[in-house]
Amino acid sequence: MIRCYLLLSLFLVACGSAPPPRLPQALEQANAAEKDARRALKGGELLRAQHGFAKTLALRQALDDTAGVATTLINLATVIHQLHEDEAALIWLDKILLEKVRIYAPEFHLTAAFRKAVILTNLARLDEAESTLQLAEKICEKKCTTRFGIDALRARLLLLKGDAEGALALAQALSKEALAGKEEQANALRVVAAAEEKLARLASALLHYQAVLEMDKSLALGTRIGEDLNGMARVSKLLGHEDESAMYARRAALVSEGLSRK
Amino acid sequence: MTLLADKDERFKNLFGKAALFILLAVLGLGLVFLWTGIKKGAFTPKSPIYFVADSGQDLSEGMPVKFSGFKIGKLNTLTLDEQGHVQVEVAIETKYLSLIRQDAVMSLKKEGVIGDGVLDVSRGTEGKPVLVAGDKVRFERASGLEQAVLEVKNRIMPILDDLQHTLHDPDGDVRQTLKNLREFSGEMRGTRERLDRVLGSVDTNLNNEVGPLLRSLRQSAAKIDQDMPVLLKKVDSSMESLRLTSEAIKDAVQHSAPQLPGMLGEARETLGKTREMVGTTQEVVDSLSTSWPLKNVVPPPETGPVRMDSHD
Repeated sequence: MIRCYLLLSLFLVACGSAPPPRLPQALEQANAAEKDARRALKGGELLRAQHGFAKTLALRQALDDTAGVATTLINLATVIHQLHEDEAALIWLDKILLEKVRIYAPEFHLTAAFRKAVILTNLARLDEAESTLQLAEKICEKKCTTRFGIDALRARLLLLKGDAEGALALAQALSKEALAGKEEQANALRVVAAAEEKLARLASALLHYQAVLEMDKSLALGTRIGEDLNGMARVSKLLGHEDESAMYARRAALVSEGLSRK
Repeated sequence: MTLLADKDERFKNLFGKAALFILLAVLGLGLVFLWTGIKKGAFTPKSPIYFVADSGQDLSEGMPVKFSGFKIGKLNTLTLDEQGHVQVEVAIETKYLSLIRQDAVMSLKKEGVIGDGVLDVSRGTEGKPVLVAGDKVRFERASGLEQAVLEVKNRIMPILDDLQHTLHDPDGDVRQTLKNLREFSGEMRGTRERLDRVLGSVDTNLNNEVGPLLRSLRQSAAKIDQDMPVLLKKVDSSMESLRLTSEAIKDAVQHSAPQLPGMLGEARETLGKTREMVGTTQEVVDSLSTSWPLKNVVPPPETGPVRMDSHD
């Protein structure tokens, strides 16, 4: 009797956990290449990730998988941006944004426009970044999940264009937004600290830099930890705390050294 | 009536004999003149040809007229006309007229550099009518030595004047060059003195420093000479060891060579099996990761765009 129960339960388990059927070969290959590329990106192997996404793109194009192609184009541009080849990254994003026949869905246009605006801001091409960000805002209409990123970038752009008050107001509101996620909250807080530094509210700026440093540490974002420490060193110096300033600068140099060794 | 009585038989017909003798003499003399006249061309028919010269200088009656180096006539008369030009008539042997054309030119030349003057007539252009008695030809004076000297003088004199001017111009290139050369030679004297001093210093240094250096080199060479055989011996022994080692390796390779293809085949087969096993394992792992209960533990594969925020 017990044997019957065991057999029945095994049969039910086997039925409930049957693996999904195999996909066609080309699709399996594309999925495998993308999986490999994502694994490489997580491991910091950017060149392998670039190669994997390029292979994925070719396979997705061969299958006329427009959503897959758009995702891969964005991924490829992101990896190339991380390789510091920003002009090439912009070209890949323009393949979505400048497509005459709108074959890609609006969400891909939104993502591509947002990422292009980020890259243009990093390149200090502020006017182009502004117009591209407006395109992203227009598609998003304050409803998309990227809206917090868009606001954070807007605040950053305002600060870079010299409107520290405007940047501070926008970034402060965003830093309190729980739905924004820890990364964008940290970004907003960094903008707050930088704006206060610019407005000579040094004590508050130092406090905000310390807060954002803790958040970046929890997120393990090395480059930004270095940025925060440099900000703290600058503000401490302005406050006349030379020893603290030197200590923060030394820590920032150690972080930078560690990143270059990585 | 006779003047003398012809009693001697020898005086008989004396008049006749004398007359015969004189007649023969006259006849002989006439023949000689005739022969000379023929030889001199006195009986050759000649045709008069005319030309006009600007002056009668170097022209004289009896002057020979030549054609291709042969004398074919002579200058007959020279007369001065109303315009002051010299009208000249030359007599050319008629048989040669057919060789000369109407545009022929009569040139006054010298035989050799300082020889007598001759009139040289050219042939003229083929196709033009031949010269006939009484025709006029053009005349020119060929440039002789004097004219050539004159031309040379006219060319050389300006050059000599220029040269003189250049040599005497105080600001000219020649004077300046000479001045520079003079200054240069003065400076060279100073340079030479400095060079002498440098050479003297070099000489002293050579004596003081190179001598000991050479001595040291000699000592080093002697030491190398002494040590070299030992070193060579060591190198020899190293080479011998190397040779023995390479022979050992060669033997080992020769010994194991027949086994290599088999080993490679086995390795290939093993690799194939390994690849197959890895593929199967991957499939099993993939299947397991999508099956209960592991599918609840393994995170689903990411599908959307990779992460990038506003500060990336």
